Amino acid sequence: MSTHKKNRHVGIVGIGQTEYSSHKEHQNQAEMVNEAVRNALADAKITLDDIDCVVHGNMELFEMVHQPDMWHSLGSGAHGKDQFRITTGGTTGSSLVCTADSLVASGMYDVVMAIGLEKLQEGHTTGGITNMADPLWFRHLQTGALTATTATLMIEEFGEERAKKAAMKYRILMDKHACLNPRAHRRFGLEYDQMDDLMNTSPRLVGELRLIHMCSQSDGACAVIFASEEKAKKLCKNPVWVRDHITVHREETFNNFGIERPETTHHYAARKLFERNGIKNPVEYFDVFEMYDPSAWWGLDWLRDFLLLKNDEHLKMLERGDFDLDGKIPINPSGGVIASNPIGATALLRPAEAALQIRGDAGPQQIKKEVRHALASGFGGTLWTVLIMLEKYLDW
Amino acid sequence: MAEYFGAAVADIFNTMERRFIPEGTKGVDTVIGYNVSGEGGGYWRVTIKDGTIKVEKLDAAPTGCTVVLNAKAETFVGVTLGKMDAGEALSSGNLKVDGDITVLITVLPKAFNKFTPIVKARTIVESMKERFRLDKAEGVTMKLGYDLAGEGGGKWTIAVKDKTCTLKEGLDSDCSVVLKMTAQTFVDLNTGKLDGATAFTSGQVKIDGDIGAAGNSAKLFAKFDTGEEKAKGEELISLKCLPTINQRYATGPVMGKWFAGLKEKKFYATRCPSCGRVQTPPREICADCRVRSEEFVEVGPNATVTIVDLVYYASPDPLTGKIRETPYAAVFMVMDGAGKDQSVSHFLNPKDFSRIKPGLKVRPVWAKERTGNYEDLLCFEIDD
Amino acid sequence: MKRVAICAVAQHKCESNIWYKRFQAMLLDVLEDIQAQTGMTFDEDTGVHTIVSNSDDVFDARTISDNGMTDVLGAHYREEEKAAQDGLNALGYAMSIILSGHADAVYVAGHSKESQSESRNMCTNLAYDPFYGRPMGLDYLNVAALQARAYAEKSKLTREQLAKVVVRARQWAARNPYANATAPVELGEVMYSPVLCDPIRTLHAYPVSDGAVGFLLASEERAKEFTDTPVWMTGFGNCMDSYFLGDRDPVSNFALKKAAERAYKMAGIKNIKKSANLVEVMDCYAYQQPMWLEGLGFCSDGKGGKFIDDHGPAQYNVNLSGGMLAGNPLIVGGLYRAAEIVLQLKGSAGEHQASDVTCGVAQSTTGGAGQFHTVAVFEA
Repeated sequence: MSTHKKNRHVGIVGIGQTEYSSHKEHQNQAEMVNEAVRNALADAKITLDDIDCVVHGNMELFEMVHQPDMWHSLGSGAHGKDQFRITTGGTTGSSLVCTADSLVASGMYDVVMAIGLEKLQEGHTTGGITNMADPLWFRHLQTGALTATTATLMIEEFGEERAKKAAMKYRILMDKHACLNPRAHRRFGLEYDQMDDLMNTSPRLVGELRLIHMCSQSDGACAVIFASEEKAKKLCKNPVWVRDHITVHREETFNNFGIERPETTHHYAARKLFERNGIKNPVEYFDVFEMYDPSAWWGLDWLRDFLLLKNDEHLKMLERGDFDLDGKIPINPSGGVIASNPIGATALLRPAEAALQIRGDAGPQQIKKEVRHALASGFGGTLWTVLIMLEKYLDW
Repeated sequence: MAEYFGAAVADIFNTMERRFIPEGTKGVDTVIGYNVSGEGGGYWRVTIKDGTIKVEKLDAAPTGCTVVLNAKAETFVGVTLGKMDAGEALSSGNLKVDGDITVLITVLPKAFNKFTPIVKARTIVESMKERFRLDKAEGVTMKLGYDLAGEGGGKWTIAVKDKTCTLKEGLDSDCSVVLKMTAQTFVDLNTGKLDGATAFTSGQVKIDGDIGAAGNSAKLFAKFDTGEEKAKGEELISLKCLPTINQRYATGPVMGKWFAGLKEKKFYATRCPSCGRVQTPPREICADCRVRSEEFVEVGPNATVTIVDLVYYASPDPLTGKIRETPYAAVFMVMDGAGKDQSVSHFLNPKDFSRIKPGLKVRPVWAKERTGNYEDLLCFEIDD
Repeated sequence: MKRVAICAVAQHKCESNIWYKRFQAMLLDVLEDIQAQTGMTFDEDTGVHTIVSNSDDVFDARTISDNGMTDVLGAHYREEEKAAQDGLNALGYAMSIILSGHADAVYVAGHSKESQSESRNMCTNLAYDPFYGRPMGLDYLNVAALQARAYAEKSKLTREQLAKVVVRARQWAARNPYANATAPVELGEVMYSPVLCDPIRTLHAYPVSDGAVGFLLASEERAKEFTDTPVWMTGFGNCMDSYFLGDRDPVSNFALKKAAERAYKMAGIKNIKKSANLVEVMDCYAYQQPMWLEGLGFCSDGKGGKFIDDHGPAQYNVNLSGGMLAGNPLIVGGLYRAAEIVLQLKGSAGEHQASDVTCGVAQSTTGGAGQFHTVAVFEA
């Protein structure tokens, strides 16, 4: 039934980011938005006059601002323009891409700017996430996005030594990538010889989920400009094309930890998306994967689902260096979510960083070989997922 | 002594008693150990007890502490001064904490006034070259000597000639004037805590040589910048507020049945008319089949453990705003008679933390007074 | 160009305090209603895969408010995105999804329960910046009051005219089974009802309300599967005005005029007064009905007062649902507007059905004193 054949192609023509940090006292929310907007306009070499519509996304309860797009319009450039606000939790940033893609492909707008942001310092991140639970049942107990369930299951499946080492190797790899990325929030300079020490001494958050494994809490914003094929080709010499995207949600309760475990949304999304785009082997097809990895344990575990791998293939690939910057399929050259996590922007950063890789403009973290096909993911809710496919050429 | 960000590790401990806020530590009883490695580091033990403080420098690693901080000297000073982020130092492993980490969050911020680096006489003297004012130096030739006694003191000669300023250690014999005072007086004079006339008339400063030259020397140099003015200029205000809007949540007949059941120590689930899935807690709809679930079945009270999260991170309970006490454990379990995919969760009895594992049977521990809410269940525990 | 069909609409009856149901149950009623009308399924191969929800985290007091809804949106293992402004924008987004080719059918559902919070004004106070607007106590009510006074001045709006708006709203609401405030009121009652926020009186303001609305949208090809009487969504536009009240002319209708212009242009409408014969405006406060009608072009600029005396609202079939004044909640106010238009154009509005209606305009607003406006055009 669903056609997934676009009315017209949509290209990314501009990308703007703020730096990401735990403190941005020098800017209020609207000013922070404005920094990303200016950077995106400069990148696209256009002005606000060229923007037809703005799509805004963040979470109200992190900063406790109701309908924040009203206030943020001071910096977003939405004044006098069409505007949407889309918010779906952690997936917000990727939802913004889906929305912008539809708005442009529909023919309703030619140029749409998506803005994701969060100023996590202005609220309590874990408390804010805990608020997603039903107020009558489970809000008393949920601890934000902190859980060691994946660590526990991986230890059970692969043995303590191998699982803990692999998670820490993944963590250090992400830090090595982050150290290359001048915008990344946390750049520790970790070395592989610290693995054993960190595995055992980093403070525990929950079970074997330690502080070192978990994503940061960042302030920052990201703006991405989308244009119709005709406009994109006029505005930009190397637009990055949005090929397809899929969103998969799950029911309200965390029924993910029963005796029988359901197919993950990651696996379901990848399976459906690759099938309808004729991709048999995602590891071979994609040149980079920017994944929403809120923790080292989740990131590593989810690679198996997203790349449709079996058994311990993902661990072997990690151990072999396949996910390194010069590996078979580099994961998160940006350093990923563990390094920078302004939640409403986080899932927009994934396709933004992937698009920079395709353009060859990623900076010090640029992958050396040509990047033609990129995958980006978003994560949120009760283990929801969004997958976005980006292409260098209109040749699919 | 080794300095980082303009301060030494020892400065931080030496000023602790002075910075201590007795009112902030009423009822506190804690011992904090410090293991600061690298140049300028060492071992310290700080005992805070009900508004009193004792700071001890130790020869060996501190023992008998509630919590011990381990860090490199640079990290320790950086975090203390706010030049480095404590959370990030903890994350990266540059700062390690053994013992009750909550002491650092709950006790320390209330116990001390902020540490600011101590300005040293040497720093002020060494900055004179930078503060030298060319526009006032036309035709001036003089040698100014400083003889500063006490801790942090020393002797320096500053020569001004041909619109250049040179600084060297020690006193030249041909100084136009030598100013003698304690290092502390010198610092106070330069940081605006003491005015020159008072210092001179009270005899805190002795002038040996050409008094006129001493007076002229003052205008040859720009004022020493303590950094405080700059800090004030950059002060950015953050407003703190706790927005609260009282809510009244409906339970409706489905969740309502669950809560009514808890009052009677019973668990009611819904059964999907299409796939038969028995859902806990009960739901209006089976999300799989998209059909309304209206049939209630009793499940439990015992359950099989599937997975357990032992939580150490203290976060707020958004329903009350209070920080939760840690550690606590969330036990995920499938209730007897419920769908195999249905994991409900609740607190685990702390006595079972070490014994709990998947597959074990647990039973509910009920509150004495039950009103139909989450707290009717105190926790679950191993069903021995 | 492709056409977007509204195949079905379902409304939950608005009430001031639906304490006996979770909002999930309200949305389930709406879902079942739509399924009963259309046979819509979420089947993996043949069903609806794409859902646009509409709710608000502050009003629900819940982060990711749509997470609580997934089950009753049919969104388990399906696509779902949440539009968090007024719900008319969710329809606009759904329209774009169909026109883009990404999906050929979209289920849209929104809910809002104003009764859950201690005060809806405390919720909207949080829309103001924490440094200035919030401590000053701004919220959507008192900001509207400032606008009400300025507008009455500009458009010579008398208290009798304002009262007429309310009396008429209640008359129509009485025939709408989904409306909340249906008891008839007299002019005098309105004019002398207690002052809520000067010059807005209690009966000038929409009552606290709970509600939920659902729509099924489909491409023209797919629509036949669900209905014999599709209504076409042919125009959409919205627009943002300045945030600070001092930065705008409070009575210029800047954002509404632009939103309307874009929606009409998309629908190919040159003269709205000739083309449209049905209007639903989001009149949270009585003064807003003539003011928004000015912005939409049905009434000349600055003539709102006279427009009422000249029976303008009756001429254009304005708010036959009873409008917001009859009690719809914020967030889904625009969805209720669109729902009424769709029912009328389908010819299934029952007791309040207007005759010979062919083209309707739905308008909604988000933010304080109409900072943001949305306009959609529907045709039979």
